[in-house]
Amino acid sequence: MASDIDYFRALETPRLSALGSNLVAAAFPMMKLMPARFILDRAEKAGELSSGGRIIETTSGTFGLALAMLAAARSYPLTLVTAKSLIDPPYQKRLEMLGAEVVVLDDDQGDGNQAGRIAYLHDRLEAEPSTFWTRQYDNPGNPHSYARLAEMLVRRVGRIDWLVGCAGTGGSLCGTGAFLRHLFPDMKIAAVDTHNSVLFGHKAGRRMLRGLGNSVMPGNVKHNLIDEVHWVGAYVAYRSAHRLLREQGMFMGPTSGAAAIVAEWIARRDPDASVVAIMPDEGFRYSATVYDQNWLNSHPGWTSTSAYEPANLTTIEPRTERDWTRFEWGRSQKPSL
Amino acid sequence: MASVGNEHHHSNSAIRQLSIGTAIAHHGELVQGVFEDDRGRLHRGLVTLPLTGLRSTARFQLQRHVPLTVVPNEKSKALRAAGLTLALLGHDRPGATLHVESDIPVGHGYGSSTADVIAAIRAAAAAVGTVLPPATISRLAVAAEVASDATAFEAEAVLFAHREGEVLEHFGSSLPPFHLIGFRPEDAEVVDTLNFVSARYNAEEIQLFRVLRGLVASAVARQDPGLLGRAATISATLNQRHLAKPHFDFVMGYMDRIGALGLQVAHSGTLFGLLMDPVLPSNAPVFGTAKAELLAAGFSHVEVFQISGAGGFHGIRY
Repeated sequence: MASDIDYFRALETPRLSALGSNLVAAAFPMMKLMPARFILDRAEKAGELSSGGRIIETTSGTFGLALAMLAAARSYPLTLVTAKSLIDPPYQKRLEMLGAEVVVLDDDQGDGNQAGRIAYLHDRLEAEPSTFWTRQYDNPGNPHSYARLAEMLVRRVGRIDWLVGCAGTGGSLCGTGAFLRHLFPDMKIAAVDTHNSVLFGHKAGRRMLRGLGNSVMPGNVKHNLIDEVHWVGAYVAYRSAHRLLREQGMFMGPTSGAAAIVAEWIARRDPDASVVAIMPDEGFRYSATVYDQNWLNSHPGWTSTSAYEPANLTTIEPRTERDWTRFEWGRSQKPSL
Repeated sequence: MASVGNEHHHSNSAIRQLSIGTAIAHHGELVQGVFEDDRGRLHRGLVTLPLTGLRSTARFQLQRHVPLTVVPNEKSKALRAAGLTLALLGHDRPGATLHVESDIPVGHGYGSSTADVIAAIRAAAAAVGTVLPPATISRLAVAAEVASDATAFEAEAVLFAHREGEVLEHFGSSLPPFHLIGFRPEDAEVVDTLNFVSARYNAEEIQLFRVLRGLVASAVARQDPGLLGRAATISATLNQRHLAKPHFDFVMGYMDRIGALGLQVAHSGTLFGLLMDPVLPSNAPVFGTAKAELLAAGFSHVEVFQISGAGGFHGIRY
């Protein structure tokens, strides 16, 4: 489609900004457009998605918004399956304005009802077999799409010693990381996660910091690429996002704050290394929360001070939203749960 | 730059009696794969490693009342290229003799055939008083030869779509400086560069080529031979899955042993090249050692070329 070549390509392109003498951040307006566009392009070419065919995905995050924008521009009907505890009304409205069908399932436990969402999705696939499921958790197109980011980073930075990024589906961090590690086998990768996410061995629980971490294990998370893991609490991430706005003029989401505080710590600790960090989205979606002082003050644990460095864990376990912990993962395989 | 000259003038015409064109060889490719153009379409493409120490020279003699012929007569692609060039420039029915001489070995990935074609195009253009730009020469070469390389661009580093003769990216400078130890297996068979089966790359490889392109761009922008060596090594390794070269594992091991910056191959030929640190003096002992060891290991034609980014390539043959 002609429209793709121009606006969507530009919108998925990050600004590359120096945050220090040895730290470059890839600041995305909307990172998930990169895998969404790549997966749809590939499905169109392979004939898995025919003209006017339905697209379906279970998501409450920006991957859904990216799909909604692309589906609208390319005239595909789209169904997004989510749960009550995962979606806020402004976001749902925005998806529906784009023409997406948003199916909100009950989840009385407040755990996202992953099993219910998957069961519903399979029912829909059975009822309408031509439907294309983008499968961002397992689709190799998700990590493959980030070759474009890896290319941009190499052009800008040259040799890269550290890659820092959030892990959620594993697509951006493990995709970019795998390509860059082909080029620089000694490059280290730091995964940024949050407390009560299962990705690196916490038990699933309520996560205040959204947009990274997971309560299930996506196939696109490749543990043996990861050198160290940082669990950043919500308040630590919020403070870091505020500081990016005040000190750099960068209005980014809280996961970008989490990536920034880890990347800055690594860049300070290793001043001769060249460090790059991935920042997934902008702050607009969080203006009534992370960027609202009243909202912040309504949380009893919220403090105006924040950790400056992580606490090293000897046993992998969750801490509070004020805490930032670190573990040397050492490129080992999946955690045993 | 292209050396295009003439030895005799007609005093009142742009038509020259005898004109000369030359073209350089190459040492295979630093990177070869498939790459996107600026509209997102994929093309087969490559980054050539030019060698100025080896050349093809074409002499073009305009004569009335003779057909267009070439000496030696197996250089029919060069003849076709000369004819296409004259047709492009509006000289449809010339009589002329084309002599092509070359010191480029045939069939080992030095680009002998393309060099003959480009030399012929330059000589034919010079005969009618024209110097063609590299992009035009490349398209004519592709028309005459099916596929081509980027040697029409001489020292300028480009990502070149060799089937179409189009530049996908100008990297903006020449390659960074390095020494190249070139060699080939003694038992190497001559490769017919136009008839081998084209590689079919998978989705992950195509994405990796995108990153390699960025690495070459970064190497050129920073004049960093280490980054270039890394790009070459990865491309050579990927090529093993498609057109496997004998002795590859040995050469990879040897690269590490002598501390080379990378391994480069002629992707459809038989050449190997080891990229060596440009700060080494050209008489550094490592070159003599490498030559002896590679010969002892069964390789031949071991030669060291000095490739310098400063003011273009200066191929010095040992």
